[in-house]
Amino acid sequence: MVYVTGVGLVNVDRHYDKSTRRLAFEASTAALESSMAEGVDFIVVASSISYLHEPQLDLASYIASSMGLRGVRSITVECGEASGLAAVMTAKALIDSGRASRVLVVGVDKLSEHPSWRVYRNLSLLYDTESDAFYSIGLGGIAGLLMRLYMNVYNVDRLTLAYWPALMHQNAKANPYAMLRFAITPEKVLEAQPVAEPLTLLDTFPLGDGAAALVLEGKASRGALAEIVDVESATGYQSIALSDDPLKIESLEVAYGRLVERTGMGSVDVVELHDSFTITGILILETLRFTERGKAAEAVAQGVFSVGGEGPVVNPSGGLKARGHPIGATGVYQVAEVALQLAGEFPGLKVDGARSGLVVSINAMGSSSYVAYMRAVG
Amino acid sequence: MGEWSPARVWRSRVYRYRLIAGRCRSCGRAHYPPANACPYCGSRDLDEVELPRVGRLVSYSVVYATPFEDRDRSPVVIGLIDLGAARLVAEVVDVKPGDLRVGDRVEAVFRRIAVDGNTGLIVYGIKFRPVRVG
Repeated sequence: MVYVTGVGLVNVDRHYDKSTRRLAFEASTAALESSMAEGVDFIVVASSISYLHEPQLDLASYIASSMGLRGVRSITVECGEASGLAAVMTAKALIDSGRASRVLVVGVDKLSEHPSWRVYRNLSLLYDTESDAFYSIGLGGIAGLLMRLYMNVYNVDRLTLAYWPALMHQNAKANPYAMLRFAITPEKVLEAQPVAEPLTLLDTFPLGDGAAALVLEGKASRGALAEIVDVESATGYQSIALSDDPLKIESLEVAYGRLVERTGMGSVDVVELHDSFTITGILILETLRFTERGKAAEAVAQGVFSVGGEGPVVNPSGGLKARGHPIGATGVYQVAEVALQLAGEFPGLKVDGARSGLVVSINAMGSSSYVAYMRAVG
Repeated sequence: MGEWSPARVWRSRVYRYRLIAGRCRSCGRAHYPPANACPYCGSRDLDEVELPRVGRLVSYSVVYATPFEDRDRSPVVIGLIDLGAARLVAEVVDVKPGDLRVGDRVEAVFRRIAVDGNTGLIVYGIKFRPVRVG
């Protein structure tokens, strides 16, 4: 049993005045204060693109030292965009095995540190450098061609797909930690500047900095927010070109199947999933079988995944699209947000009475996928 | 790509220039680029096969959010190309993005991929262009 007993979030934004270590410190301090924990056995740091943006190897030990945790055990977890949830999985394993009773997980990354052309190059390294990223795929080249494939295979028009970012922006309006807290119309998405046609700037995440932290414990203290029942994962193909069915994320299907088998989980009330691009969010919904293949965009447009819809409620935080996506930190944000929802304490759009939640984090288009099942305490 | 190293570019020259794919002796499927084991069945009993140099465009994206070093040729067209025995992702050149259609026949051409000003390295590889009709 592993419980979330504290969370700390830094609002995703362009934090030019704050270093990677400072952001990690602020999130960690908030998490430790909210858990009232005295001391931690381990610190697990999730960070990915910081190795290129504010280069530092053995990051976890430097972060630990800089926040005064001398002598603590530390480890850095790097799994691209899925680093955050991979770090939670690592922390949970440390607690389950008895090696630790209290672990601080902190995810941190900065995307505003360099000009966007350099960020685009570095983000392309999330994809396989021996195949797809040998070419100049930039930001969203692979997502763009999957979006076109999806539109052709299922005969879905561009406007229907634009309801996803519109919903994410609507959800983010009330989230104090979201980077983009304004509404947009689906029509606006089509008018935005092209990034990787057919996807536009409003189909992608904003380039922001952030840090999120969790205190995880093996015992439910009085203030426990939620239980992490289990975390599962799987690796996938190195390129969408190897898949016979690139509109299904195979690694996610395997990881989710494992999670269902291990926990016996049924339907959930709230989901935070990895919508790095509109098409990523849509493909995840369909891979999880929340809708039939080819129908997720229409379901989003009809409000199925909005508050009051048939559910589950998806990305009440605003998702990667509007909360933001500080690469290695994102999975930690997601777990923190679901924990707050299950405790009835999320400071943005609330899912009233939520008892169970799912977190989905993937790298690229599914080089690896991580999923977590969470439950309310008591 | 990030940093280009001369050794890395040299190591991959044969399969990149000649479009050599791995082929599994166990399940019979081909994959590009050649891996250490079959991505489908995991077998390490592999040989090689040269892929056809003409195929069809399954899908494509016109990428404007490119790194600085590619800005002079932005937008870059990235295609998913079916060569029969295997599929691959590669750049599509010599075409106005608006003239491209899914299902177009495309052929391999030998092109410059990148120039690294620091090491003086010029990286070459295969791109694809539409097959001209008539």
